[in-house]
Amino acid sequence: MELAFYLSGLVAIVATLGVIVGTNAVHSLLNLIVSLIAVAIVFFALGAPFAGALEVIVYAGAIMVLFVFVVMILNLGQGADEQERLWLRARTWLLPAALSLILLGTLLVTLAAGDGGQMIGGRTLTAKAVGTTLFGPWLLVVELAAMLLLAGLVTASHVGRLPRDRRDDRKGGD
Amino acid sequence: MLTRTDMMALTPVILVCATAITVMLGIAWRRQHAVTVLVSALGLNTALLSLFLFGELGTVRTPMLVFDSVTILGMGMILVSSLACATFSHAYLDGFPGAREEFYLLLLCAAAGGMVLTAADHLATLFFGLELLSMPLYGMLAYTFRDRNSLEAGIKYLVLSATATAFLLFGMALLYAQTGHLDIPGLVAGMSSGVGPWALAGVGLVLVGLCFKLSIIPFHLWTPDVYQGGPGPAVTFLATASKVAAFIVLLRIVEAIPAFHGAQAQTLLAALALLTMLAGNLLALLQANLKRLLGYSSIAHFGYLMVAIVVADKLAVETSGIYLITYLITTLGAFGVVTLLSSPYGGEDASALHYYRGLFWRRPYLAAVLTVAMLSLAGIPFTAGFIGKFYIIALGVEAQRWWLVAGIVVGSAIGLYYYLRVTITLYLMEPGMQRRDAPNDWGLRAGGLVVLLLAVLMILMGVYPSPVVHWMSLLSLAGS
Repeated sequence: MELAFYLSGLVAIVATLGVIVGTNAVHSLLNLIVSLIAVAIVFFALGAPFAGALEVIVYAGAIMVLFVFVVMILNLGQGADEQERLWLRARTWLLPAALSLILLGTLLVTLAAGDGGQMIGGRTLTAKAVGTTLFGPWLLVVELAAMLLLAGLVTASHVGRLPRDRRDDRKGGD
Repeated sequence: MLTRTDMMALTPVILVCATAITVMLGIAWRRQHAVTVLVSALGLNTALLSLFLFGELGTVRTPMLVFDSVTILGMGMILVSSLACATFSHAYLDGFPGAREEFYLLLLCAAAGGMVLTAADHLATLFFGLELLSMPLYGMLAYTFRDRNSLEAGIKYLVLSATATAFLLFGMALLYAQTGHLDIPGLVAGMSSGVGPWALAGVGLVLVGLCFKLSIIPFHLWTPDVYQGGPGPAVTFLATASKVAAFIVLLRIVEAIPAFHGAQAQTLLAALALLTMLAGNLLALLQANLKRLLGYSSIAHFGYLMVAIVVADKLAVETSGIYLITYLITTLGAFGVVTLLSSPYGGEDASALHYYRGLFWRRPYLAAVLTVAMLSLAGIPFTAGFIGKFYIIALGVEAQRWWLVAGIVVGSAIGLYYYLRVTITLYLMEPGMQRRDAPNDWGLRAGGLVVLLLAVLMILMGVYPSPVVHWMSLLSLAGS
């Protein structure tokens, strides 16, 4: 378990470094997905399977894939094929792929070693425990998070609003 | 679980959040600028009223929040400044071509965040309060986003604030790693056997995060551009409510956590205070833009206030209360005049000093308000600012912090120069200059009345401070 923890922690750091030094948005996003999955394995190793699963489903699954799609869709147009070919070069996917392989190896080794239900220390936090904490004493924080998301959403919708004439231009152009 | 008393103590926050939701639903149904302002003002006033009613409960501890007299004071100040900002933005946004109603929604969300922050007794509420205060501010600062400066202000604040938040979160993680607690009493108990190296690093990083919000030097680099670029009402909120909330939470954790009481930590805090008050004043000297100048002046004022953080005893809490009130009234007044002169919205705010040249001959009352505000910021006797500065110096003398007292005196002397420079500009006669002016009936509108009221308060507090002083002498933090 210790090995899984440290190895995925290292992978997370390397992948995140890849995110911030990358100049292409799609390359950075690939690295970010790997980094999030590595953090999920760290959560599993720490005995928080619920947080780990959420990290994979929500962050790596929903949010990041959405990001990648949006970036790719926005780049449609004349040079799209060319661009696609450039993205498929080995330089782009080699680092994320290698890091993902390390993660997969860690996972398989841990499973094969047979200490599936174990963790580094403390006790396992189940989904039920997380739920009763969130909607018991932490209820206020959950509500605050809701207000926070509302504020973020309103900000994004206001600042992202195009003036009427430019919006029409775009509709016509496509 | 929440008891009845908890719910009563939480009522002001709940009311503000409910008003935000009401405003949101109103926007979805039908856009009405005047109605939105009325609903927001009504909600804020109700919250203020409930604050007075439930302030009688004494100290209440709900899960993760604490409601003591300092919390009540902080919440009251945030509500008052939100009300003032709402009235200012009513006049300001009248000329704004895009959607106007969202501004009030953001304002209410930010007010709720600030109120939670003043009551934070747990690192989770501290973090969420701070984020709920900052997140709407990004939107408010970038609200007139077709003006490049406003967009720049919003994005600059977003990026730098996110960096500061990263520091804050990492500090919290280190504190948790050392003590195993997230609530502040638990943290204090965890450090009772001695402050470990991780906890020390943790409180240092938390300090960085909060100092950024207070724009303590050397974490001040965002301040001038954001103050200059943001629309008037948003900057007013940033300079008053946001700073008051961040200061109160900093005071609370410095007072509670023993890691701040060591000799080295004290030296560090004192050095920050000295640097901030001197450099803030020096940087303000040559500004040709009133909003930038007020930005640097707010840096200097929080340098003075840091003296209370350094001393951190019972008198320090009282002093902070008095200084925060005088700062709030004065800053609201000064930014109120700037906002009124830039209303209704028509491009960049009228903040360059040359707009103010000869203001007295066109708008004598408005110029008088700005004069009183400048004198109060400079700490001239018979204005509110003098009472605040008097208390800060008394606190420094009593704690025998001679370096800090010398810093305050030198800083005030430098400050006098640029505050008076602004005042003189108001009375210079210069025909034929390009002018932007407040609408003719400014004095009859809500914003004008608020500004006049603030000016009266500034003088009243300077001449007859004893009710406020008496009120502040009752202040104390829970658990200290």
